[in-house]
Amino acid sequence: MRRGNTPNRGIRDRLFTGACAFMLAVFVAFILTLIIADVLYIDKEAVLKVIGSHDIRHALWMSIWTSVLTTFISLLFAVPLGYILSRYRFPAHAVIDAIIDLPIIFPPLVAGLTLLVFFSQTGLGKWIQEDLGLEFWFQPRGIVLCQFLVAASYAIRSVKTAFDDIDRRFENVALTLGCTQRQSFMRVSLPLAANGIIAGGILTWARAFGLFGPLLIFVGSFRGRTEVLSTTIFLEQSIGNLEAALAVALLMILVALAAIITIRMVGGRVQLKL
Amino acid sequence: MICTQDLTFEIGEFRLDSVGIEMLRNEYFVLLGPPGSGKTIFLECLCGLRKAASGRILLDGADITHDEPRKRNIGYVPQDYALFPHLTVRRNIAFGLRAAGNSPKTVAFRVNETAEMLGISHLLERSVPGLSGGEKQRAALGRALVMAPQVLLLDEPVCALDEATRQNICSMLRRVQKDLKLTVMHVSHNLEEAFSVADRAAILNNGRIEQTGSLDELLRKCRNEFVARFMRCENIFTGTAAESLPDSDACTVRIGEINLAVPGRREGTVQLVIRPEDVLIEIADGNNGGRNRFEVCISQWRDFGSHVRVELEGSLDLVAHVSHAVFRKIMAAQTAKLAAILPRENLHVLE
Repeated sequence: MRRGNTPNRGIRDRLFTGACAFMLAVFVAFILTLIIADVLYIDKEAVLKVIGSHDIRHALWMSIWTSVLTTFISLLFAVPLGYILSRYRFPAHAVIDAIIDLPIIFPPLVAGLTLLVFFSQTGLGKWIQEDLGLEFWFQPRGIVLCQFLVAASYAIRSVKTAFDDIDRRFENVALTLGCTQRQSFMRVSLPLAANGIIAGGILTWARAFGLFGPLLIFVGSFRGRTEVLSTTIFLEQSIGNLEAALAVALLMILVALAAIITIRMVGGRVQLKL
Repeated sequence: MICTQDLTFEIGEFRLDSVGIEMLRNEYFVLLGPPGSGKTIFLECLCGLRKAASGRILLDGADITHDEPRKRNIGYVPQDYALFPHLTVRRNIAFGLRAAGNSPKTVAFRVNETAEMLGISHLLERSVPGLSGGEKQRAALGRALVMAPQVLLLDEPVCALDEATRQNICSMLRRVQKDLKLTVMHVSHNLEEAFSVADRAAILNNGRIEQTGSLDELLRKCRNEFVARFMRCENIFTGTAAESLPDSDACTVRIGEINLAVPGRREGTVQLVIRPEDVLIEIADGNNGGRNRFEVCISQWRDFGSHVRVELEGSLDLVAHVSHAVFRKIMAAQTAKLAAILPRENLHVLE
C-alpha cells in the first residue's frame, strides 16, 4: 500500500487501516471467486459456440446499442434536471425529488408491468402506439424505454450530487464577469460536474446493460428482434443449457468490465473544454 | 460614483437595514465590520448577486438596482477568490473576455498586459490548485481587472494570507487602484488592513452602518460605543455633566471621584472616550489635583513591539499606549506614583 503522504501511525491506526484493507480484499475476492467458478465450469467449446452464434452476436449488439442510447438519453435529461434540483428550491421540491428516486426503489418488474398497462390499457398509450405509430410494445425501441425508465434516476441522482458539490460562488463570479446564466452553466458548472456526469453515465449504462425483468414482460425475448444478452441468459438456462447461459454471462462481464475501465480511464484524462 | 440609498435585504433572521453608503470616484473605500455584520451580503447586493428588498443602487447617477450582474460593470473578487479550478491562470483571467466574444488576439494582449501589471506573467500556464494564497489573490484580481470594471469589490481579499504577503498584497492593491484610477470597495474586519489602504471607511454592525468617515474621524470622533470599541478604544467612561466652565466652550464631567474637563457644553449622563495613545503618563510631582490629571499606578504592562500597553489603576482605571522611551523613563524612576493626564482636546463625548 502506498504510504507517501500518510502521517506516522501507531498500532491502533495500523489495525484500523488493516481492517479496511481486509474488507476490501474480501469483497474483491468474493466477486473474483464467483467469476472464476463460472470460468472453470464451462468448457472452451461452449464459449466458441456462443461467440459463433449469430443470434448471440445480434443480442450482444442489441444490448450495446440500446444501453448506449439509453445512457445518452438519460444524461440528456439528467443534466438539466440535476442542475435545477440542485440549484433551486421550489414548492413540491421534496416530492419531485422522491418521484425521481421511485424507479430506483421499486422492483424492476414493476416498471415492465407499468409500461405494459400504460400502452395496452390507457387511451394515451394506445394513441401513441396506434394513432401516432410509435410502437414500443415488443419492439427494440421498447427496450430503450424500459431501460430509460429504470436507469435514468441513477443518472439524475448522480448528476445532481455533482452539481451540489460545486460551490455556487464559481457561477456567481462568472455572472459578474459578463456571463449569462447559460454561459455560466456551460463554461463553469458543466465542466466542473464532468466527473459526476461520467459517473452517472457509467451507473446508467451498467443498469441498462444488465436489465432483464421488465424487458421480458414488456418487449419479450424474440430471437433476432428484441433479445438482449440478459434475456438470452434467462432463455438458455430455462431450457437447461447452463453452459451457454454461463458463457453469455461471461461475455457480459467482459464487455461491462472493458467498458467501465475505458470510460474511467478516458473520463479521467479528458477535460471538457467548453 | 456609486452609492446606495436605504438598501435593505433580508435573509432568515438577518437584515441589512437601510444601508446608505456613497463612494467617490477613484476612492479606496474600506467597509469594516465584525464577522456576521453583513459585509459580504452588502457586496453581493452591490454586484447584483442578491436582490435588494428595497432601496436603490446608483452608479454614476444611473439606477442599477435591478440590473443583472453582467450589465453592472462591477468587478467582484470573493473571499476565497473562487478561481475556476478546471482552468489555468491564463484561462481564468481570460474568462470574461472570452465570454464577451473578444478575438483571441485581443484576449491574449489584455491577459498578458494585466498579468504583467500584477507580476504574475510567470504563472499564466499554471493550474489553480498548485498556487499559493498570494498567487491566487493576484490571479483573481487579474480576472476582475481585465474586464476594466468601473468599481471593484474585494471581499476580505487578504484575510487568508500570512502577515508578510498581506502587506505586499495591500501595497499592490493600493498601487493598482492609483495607477488605474479605480474606485474600490474593500471589505475587512481588520483595522491594520484598513489603515494600509483606505481613503475612507464605514463600519457595519448587524446590518446597519454605524459611522462613515476618514479613519482619523473613526478613531477620534467615534459616534457610539460600538465604533469606539471596534476602533480599539479601551477607555470608555460614563459620567455626569456637572458644570460649564466659564473661561471656554467646555464643561466638567464627574466620573466617580474625579472631575474631567471635556470640550463642549453637556447635560446629564455622558459617555467619554479617550484613545490609549492619547493618555499621557508622567512621574507624579505632588501636583496631581489639577483637572484631567490624577494619580495612578501601573497594574500590568505588555510590550507590543511598536508600543507598550500599560494598564493603570487609580481614581479612573485606564489603558495607555506609550512609546518605549517613555516607558523606560517611567520604569527608571522606580516610583509607583505616577500621574495620568487626559488632555481635554483628546477627550471625546459619544453621541
